Amino acid sequence: MSLVASPLRPLSYLKQAVRQCRNEREQCRRYATAAAVQYPSLQTRYPPPSPGFRPSQAIKQNRSEEGMKRIPVVPPPRSTAKACPDPIATLTQSQIAVLDPSGARTRLFSPANPDRLQPGDILLVRLRTGDPVSGVVLAIRRRHQPIDWAVLLRNQLTRVGVEMWFKIYSPNVEGMEIVQRKERRARRAKLYYMRKPRHDVGSVEGLVRQYMRQRMGGPMASRDAKGRDGNSGSKKNNKRGRN
Amino acid sequence: MDRFNNGPDLPVLGSSKKAAFERREPMLPHRTGALVIKKGMTAMYDPVTAKRTPCTVLQLDRCQVISHKRREIHGYWAVQVGCGTKEARNVTRPERGHYAAQGVPLKRHLAEFRVKNADGLPEVGSVITADLFQEGQYIDARGITRGMGFAGGMKRWGWGGQPASHGTSLTHRAMGSAGASQGSGSRVHPGKHMPGRMGGEGHTVQCLKVLKVDKENGIVVVNGAVPGPKKSIVKIQDAIKKPWPEVGLTIGVSTMGSTSEALEARV
Repeated sequence: MSLVASPLRPLSYLKQAVRQCRNEREQCRRYATAAAVQYPSLQTRYPPPSPGFRPSQAIKQNRSEEGMKRIPVVPPPRSTAKACPDPIATLTQSQIAVLDPSGARTRLFSPANPDRLQPGDILLVRLRTGDPVSGVVLAIRRRHQPIDWAVLLRNQLTRVGVEMWFKIYSPNVEGMEIVQRKERRARRAKLYYMRKPRHDVGSVEGLVRQYMRQRMGGPMASRDAKGRDGNSGSKKNNKRGRN
Repeated sequence: MDRFNNGPDLPVLGSSKKAAFERREPMLPHRTGALVIKKGMTAMYDPVTAKRTPCTVLQLDRCQVISHKRREIHGYWAVQVGCGTKEARNVTRPERGHYAAQGVPLKRHLAEFRVKNADGLPEVGSVITADLFQEGQYIDARGITRGMGFAGGMKRWGWGGQPASHGTSLTHRAMGSAGASQGSGSRVHPGKHMPGRMGGEGHTVQCLKVLKVDKENGIVVVNGAVPGPKKSIVKIQDAIKKPWPEVGLTIGVSTMGSTSEALEARV
């Protein structure tokens, strides 16, 4: 049995390949044992790899160092970096433990808390220095680590729109209280449309004053009102002290 | 006889290597530095003054003294420090030989820290921990800046570009003139700023204050920014433009002890 065609089948020239195949088939038909047709040009040239063969292992075996002096390798010490995979979060947590020991501020802004502060709520921010500031929450900026989170309040002072950003963990912020929640959840995360005159809620000073009076209760309320009218910071500070 | 200015009593020539070394000597730190990984930036608040300080968080990972460079052999004093680790099969034989000769584990990164004299060379195999740096001291941070690729002149050198309108056409960010014509010799002067590869080169930021040190977690927090992207390697050492910190040379450098024994056991 001499095969005329070479066992290599040309790849690019289709016509010749078909012709060669036909040729081979013709030859195979001449034998009685042509049950399983085996085209010689389709046979692999190398035996298949044995089961369990791993190319990566083969490469490593080829890089043999037999006959060379063995170089000892000292085992590495335990990794400190693995013990603390996210040092920034560790640093943030240690700072929050100092800046917000009660965890009230964290709860107020935690996305996992269903009663968290949401855009559209009216917030009162008590400051360590100066008067408390209140306003509608236009946006909550959750950026990088919680230590950088901030809240944007909008209010009106002497009929002029005023906006202020507050870092939620700033040591200047003594406390944050929700004066009033938005009746229906705002359908946007950033309520910048409220800057337009058509949507502007205006001053929230009245609501805040009412809230403070409620919190104080009784005779304190009238004094509080007087303090407001007088617009004196010291009285307000006194009031905060009693609170 | 003094024709050739040659003799034992003559002062060292200013252009010689020895003179250069001596000029440099007073500026060299007394202690070794550390190889750290930049983890990213965040901010820290001072609870008293309420001041917010942007800071960079750096972390040490198995930072260890690998070998020494000695004045009489190599021409200068330096500590070779390595950090991280590598698998032995990924390290070439010559490199493994270097680690084995010193009896220290393989390291992923290697760097040298120049020191003033032999007192600043900790024992080979010593582990450098974060408490090498004290809160409040100043450090210099060396790293490789982010590669920006081929950048135009406006980005690379801060040029102003050309006007957006008033007849400007297609040349809004071009470099403009490369120099005068006849007066300057009708040529482009050497060192003329031009567009080209930007970043990806070594950079040092001097005098960064250490805000916080956490030995257990290997964290060093420094004020401000440090060159390079996150996860990049940064060299930190005592700042050369501030008074040297008044700490002992053994602070933050603990001998590993078991290194040579472990090596013996493996052999």
